Amino acid sequence: MAVTVRQELRFVVLDERDRIVGVGSHAESQLGPLVGTRLWDSFPGSEPLFKPYYDAARRSGEPVEFVQFYDGNVARVRAVPIGDGRLELEWEQLARLDTLTLDSLSETLDGALELLDGDATDRRQAVGRAALHVIEGGE
Amino acid sequence: MTLRSSAPDAYVVLDENDRVVHVSQPFHDTRGRGVGHVFWDHLPGAREIYEPHLAEARATGRPVEAVIFYAGRLKRLLAIPGGDGLAVHIENLVELDVTSLGTLTRSLQQLDAELADRACEQHGRRSHASLRALP
Repeated sequence: MAVTVRQELRFVVLDERDRIVGVGSHAESQLGPLVGTRLWDSFPGSEPLFKPYYDAARRSGEPVEFVQFYDGNVARVRAVPIGDGRLELEWEQLARLDTLTLDSLSETLDGALELLDGDATDRRQAVGRAALHVIEGGE
Repeated sequence: MTLRSSAPDAYVVLDENDRVVHVSQPFHDTRGRGVGHVFWDHLPGAREIYEPHLAEARATGRPVEAVIFYAGRLKRLLAIPGGDGLAVHIENLVELDVTSLGTLTRSLQQLDAELADRACEQHGRRSHASLRALP
């Protein structure tokens, strides 16, 4: 079972070059200092996980919603085009991995993987198999 | 002797009540403020993982080596009893990278490989010991 983390919905606004140009009040403390920076520079390794969805939202002009794993967290993200290439991103943290012990990792990993979208099935299975090896071998 | 010479530089020395009485230089940044405190006070959930190995070292009076997982890292733990307390050497072997499912999978595989290597080493030591027992 994942550690379920229900939080206030947070949002930021990106310009057409993925720079943070606006931050909602619930994200102010975390992201406020990042206004003006490029999102991918502030969150290393996140670009290939999120950008394809953002590009799809810009291309279609329609909101895109997805669930993604990043930095030990699973979050539901909604990318809404608001004109001129800008996007409003809303996200809700759904779960967080607890890596304190192998037991807590095992308990939280299963739940976190279950929350992910269907197109991540192969990666879910790969990480699940790797974890199973470690956890069974480590006990 | 082999264990002592291969002991990681990062270590703490604990008294009989698990109070930190010394912190080696490489640990000063992260554990330096812990001198005088009980080792577990700032390491939630660590006691159940570390203590059986520390208890074995104290009970036998001999160094105990183990591989443990704590706080997202696979660590080599070496507990060496001495006159001034129990020296607990810790070396990080593999750190889980939770950036993405891909990095998590790769680091879990590294962790698995490290555990397998350690298991082979243990097996090798046992075999070697049993061969030496032959006439």
